[in-house]
Amino acid sequence: MPADISDQTLDFLLARAGLDLTPAQKAELKSVYPGIAAMAERVRKPRGIMAEPAHAYGFNPVDLGEDL
Amino acid sequence: MAAPAIPTIAEAAKRIAAKQLSPVELTRACLDRVRALDDRLHAFVHLTEERALAEAREAERAIMAGASKGPLHGIPIGLKDIVDTKGIPTTCGSKILQDNIPDTDAACAESLAEAGTVLIGKTTTHEFADGGPSFDLPKPPARNPWNTDHFTAGSSSGTGAAVAAGLILGGIGTDTGGSIRGPAALCGIAGIKPTYGLVSRAGVAPAAFSLDHIGPMAWTSEDCALMLQALAGYDARDPASADRPVPNYTAALGSGIKGLKVGVIHHFHEVDYKVSPGTQRGIDGTISALRELGAEIREVQLSPLQDWQACGSLISITERASAYDEWARTRLGDFSERVQRRLMLGALVSGVDYVQAVRRRRELRAELKAAMAGLDIVLTAAAPGEAPKIDNVPIWDVFDRPSFTIPFNVAGYPAMSICAGYGEGGLPVAVQLVGKPFDEATLFRVADAFEKATPHRNARPVLA
Repeated sequence: MPADISDQTLDFLLARAGLDLTPAQKAELKSVYPGIAAMAERVRKPRGIMAEPAHAYGFNPVDLGEDL
Repeated sequence: MAAPAIPTIAEAAKRIAAKQLSPVELTRACLDRVRALDDRLHAFVHLTEERALAEAREAERAIMAGASKGPLHGIPIGLKDIVDTKGIPTTCGSKILQDNIPDTDAACAESLAEAGTVLIGKTTTHEFADGGPSFDLPKPPARNPWNTDHFTAGSSSGTGAAVAAGLILGGIGTDTGGSIRGPAALCGIAGIKPTYGLVSRAGVAPAAFSLDHIGPMAWTSEDCALMLQALAGYDARDPASADRPVPNYTAALGSGIKGLKVGVIHHFHEVDYKVSPGTQRGIDGTISALRELGAEIREVQLSPLQDWQACGSLISITERASAYDEWARTRLGDFSERVQRRLMLGALVSGVDYVQAVRRRRELRAELKAAMAGLDIVLTAAAPGEAPKIDNVPIWDVFDRPSFTIPFNVAGYPAMSICAGYGEGGLPVAVQLVGKPFDEATLFRVADAFEKATPHRNARPVLA
């Protein structure tokens, strides 16, 4: 993941998110992008395809309507 | 510093039960303190004085008639202003919900009302439990009663300030990355983020669904135990609610901690992010006190604090952006500048980043489970130091420094902040105790033993 972001890419991400920012807000967001990139690198480990996310779930009685 | 003039919940409950203390007198004393101090503390955004007095009179009548509901009956409390309250404004500290009056109570408000508490009012929160102290909101941020130039931490800032100053005896906080434990630490009180799923989130505005916890804040850990007793339990309205028996949280208090095994995550607060000398002394003093009480101290090694921070922050940023997506798209300028910045961050996190964080979360949780095998609790810092000046709180603290509290939101484990003394500036310092899932009783047992063996609960802040 690159540690910086171009103006064009930032504009694309903001447009996709539907956020309408001022030039000052865009500049500030661009300045903190390396922090997000560093966090994303920290959670990206060599874990293979079978590692499950934490919120994989099981059906409980409410989901099955058994407590109604 | 002066001796406490306001009783703890446990003390008040005993005196009320013995008919030595009137719930009406206690409520009036709290309201008097609110009137005298809250123009400087800004701990409340909405007072419910008439309701409080009516509830206190009803509590007194019932107790005199032999129909006590238990130790919380007649106890004045506050609810963070992201907790829905039927017929009472719930603004979430935001311009967006200035006119919001819910038609139902949140589950936690319901539980405390059923236990007979007296609602003094709604307490100040960071906007939607996020962002930090903002001066561009309808109400000003809460101030630290130990020194009103200083920050309370957040987001349960009003509850922290109100409990410390004795405006209420206990209150509700919520905690997505430390919003109970941070204010508890900086305001010198006790606050517990229970196990994920133990207390229903129904009717509480979300910050990040899978990290959000509801919990009590009070002057002592014993008081937190009394409150948690009323709050814990299954609620079908919360899809994450745990359906399991609720133990007696006060049964083991006073039984000592001899032989309990306490792990210390030294590297979190000594290497990964070094705490202030005062906080380090507080932590070292806590370890010594626990050892003298008979606990066995061990060393614990986990992934670096920054790994936990990255995992929790990516999840938090994304879930928050999702929850508030509609308003961010249509009313971004109606949020405070701080929350606008937080919501903007959501655009920078990809779907893959989020799921990688959630996969990392499973690994980190497994790591903590393995590290705690053979231990009863673990211990680390709750905050890096004493409260900073309120006008010196970083905007981008999520990048500037890792949080000592977010690891246990990531893991969902119960974690508690208690006062561990006072730092160089005379403000409180704290220590964080972490238990195994659904073992809050052991946390209370250790915290209570520590509080009763040390003098830190003897001094309340004095506002000139």
